[in-house]
Amino acid sequence: MDLLNHVIQGFGVALSFQNLLYCLIGCMVGTLIGVLPGIGPVATIAMLLPLTFKLPPTSALIMLAGIYYGASYGGSTTAILVNLPGEASSVVTTLDGYKMAQKGRAGAALSISAVGSFFAGTFGTVLIVLFAPMLTAMAQKFGPAEYCSLMALGLVAAVVLASGSVIKAIAMVFLGLLIGLIGTDVNTGAQRYTFNIPELSDGIDFAPIAMGLFGIAEIIGNLEKRVGGRHVVAAKISSLWPTREEARLAAPAIVRGTTLGSLLGVLPGGGPTLAAFSSYTLEKKLSKTPQEFGKGAVQGVAAPEAANNAAAQTSFIPMLTLGIPSNAVMALMVGAMIIQGIQPGPEVMTKKPDLFWGMIASMWIGNAMLVIINLPLIGMWVRLLTVPYRFLYPAILLFCCIGAYSLQNSDFHVMMVAIFGVIGYIFLKLGCEGAPFLLGLVLGPQMEEYFRRAMLLSRGDATVFLTRPISAGLLIVTALLLLLMVLPNFRKKREEAFHEEG
Amino acid sequence: MNRLFSKDLWSGLMFAGFGVLALVMGSNLAVGTAIRMGPGYVPRMLSYILIGLGLAIVARSLISPGETIERLRWKPVTMITIGVVVFALLFERAGLAPALVCLIFLAALGGQEFKLVETILACIVLTALCVVIFKLGLSMNISIIRGVW
Repeated sequence: MDLLNHVIQGFGVALSFQNLLYCLIGCMVGTLIGVLPGIGPVATIAMLLPLTFKLPPTSALIMLAGIYYGASYGGSTTAILVNLPGEASSVVTTLDGYKMAQKGRAGAALSISAVGSFFAGTFGTVLIVLFAPMLTAMAQKFGPAEYCSLMALGLVAAVVLASGSVIKAIAMVFLGLLIGLIGTDVNTGAQRYTFNIPELSDGIDFAPIAMGLFGIAEIIGNLEKRVGGRHVVAAKISSLWPTREEARLAAPAIVRGTTLGSLLGVLPGGGPTLAAFSSYTLEKKLSKTPQEFGKGAVQGVAAPEAANNAAAQTSFIPMLTLGIPSNAVMALMVGAMIIQGIQPGPEVMTKKPDLFWGMIASMWIGNAMLVIINLPLIGMWVRLLTVPYRFLYPAILLFCCIGAYSLQNSDFHVMMVAIFGVIGYIFLKLGCEGAPFLLGLVLGPQMEEYFRRAMLLSRGDATVFLTRPISAGLLIVTALLLLLMVLPNFRKKREEAFHEEG
Repeated sequence: MNRLFSKDLWSGLMFAGFGVLALVMGSNLAVGTAIRMGPGYVPRMLSYILIGLGLAIVARSLISPGETIERLRWKPVTMITIGVVVFALLFERAGLAPALVCLIFLAALGGQEFKLVETILACIVLTALCVVIFKLGLSMNISIIRGVW
């Protein structure tokens, strides 16, 4: 009954007026950026990070989490109504969701996606409650060697499951690890790559880097594309109620999507986008009428929507229990915790039960809020889409600059935003993805710590990583993942999963 | 032509370049031994790996060049970057309002169409918004115009 007590404690924390308010703010901001193309959760969270310093840690994390799962809700609204995916995770929803809307079933598509997401969110939350304590107990047996191997696995898995060239992504991870080492060496106090800049001696701040890579570079890229006037013709919403037939088809698809999404969310590098694509492929394979897909199949909306939300929830599991982020947003959440003076890892659950259970409870509350925010207010969100990009990007730029400044009240960080904006633009042009870089950057300092400690304990014997069973197991899985990538068959499958119909 | 503007070729060179840069700049850091690692041990290890990966990507691009780099447009990247840098220089010295105006104007000039009236309006709205959110709402210690408010 320990578990039940924890959950009750969690709801006690999450239901306080202040935390409810921050949860609501997070969900609103999340929906907003989900609706607006051109700004994603990574840039938003980085931008708002400095503002959360003054908040208590629990409220801060509740709000940031709300932005993350709120974005995937908002993204699907525009995917269905105007064929514009607000987020990468709702790209698949445009395939059948928009077709449904054109057939006059926009209301049904929206409510199915909202109900599916809510069901998936609830299921994901229950999974966290059940599995987090187990994983935490396991993680407490980990020594430095195991941690180091676990991080290696996390980084490699993130690369293999992401889209794009694998070798370039791996190089991005290493570049991130290297840049993450900037600052004072913990063991010797030596200055590394600090160029005598005092702001760098505490280590390089990841928030301005994330703003530059995901905010500024994104804006520059969008301005280049020469988007013409956006013709937004929103489909009319009639009744929100699905027909009996639609409900019959959607229900099992939601369950399958939730299951697959929950599994993929836990995997490092999985996350909502992969979950949505995979579950769409799965539904199409299982369906008796695969020719309906792409023409407004209900399952093609229900399953990916459930899957992306389930994955958004379960991707918190490795972050909360092991301190290992599985995607770029989780990397920022790890950073947010460190800023608040909390070392992410298995101790969070035992030492900060309020924070841990409060955050989980708030996710369920947030999911319920999102259904309420989204369905009745849909008209308002869609109208926001008509705001031209030329009004939007100066505001994003401005908030990035002020956010970076307020990190430490120093213009040095604003300069960093400018520098990493240019670097991010170069990455963009060369087809190098920012997410693996950010993961490496956040994990770099910890990984070095664990590596050095493990080597010290083993008296310089590098085989320690292979002689300890758990560590060896983790490294074997890492090696297998890398091996998979060499197999032509798997590579083809992987590319298919990311380019479904286009 | 295709070969020369390959994305892979240049990204490989970039990674190798970063690796070499890290090696050169970290040459003063003591490497130490595997048991007692100095501050330079891990950076050096990472630099070598990065150079290796970079060269591998270059080698691959020589065999199959892959995608070519799309044409660069200089206007957005230069205007936006200058905007952010000017903001950084002016924010403490002159205050939020002048920094904001410069940033918004430079950013608008980097866009596809520049409309003077709209840009002026955007400056006014955003200044008001910032005053409300940051100065009054979050009571941050920033001055709107240095020496005045």
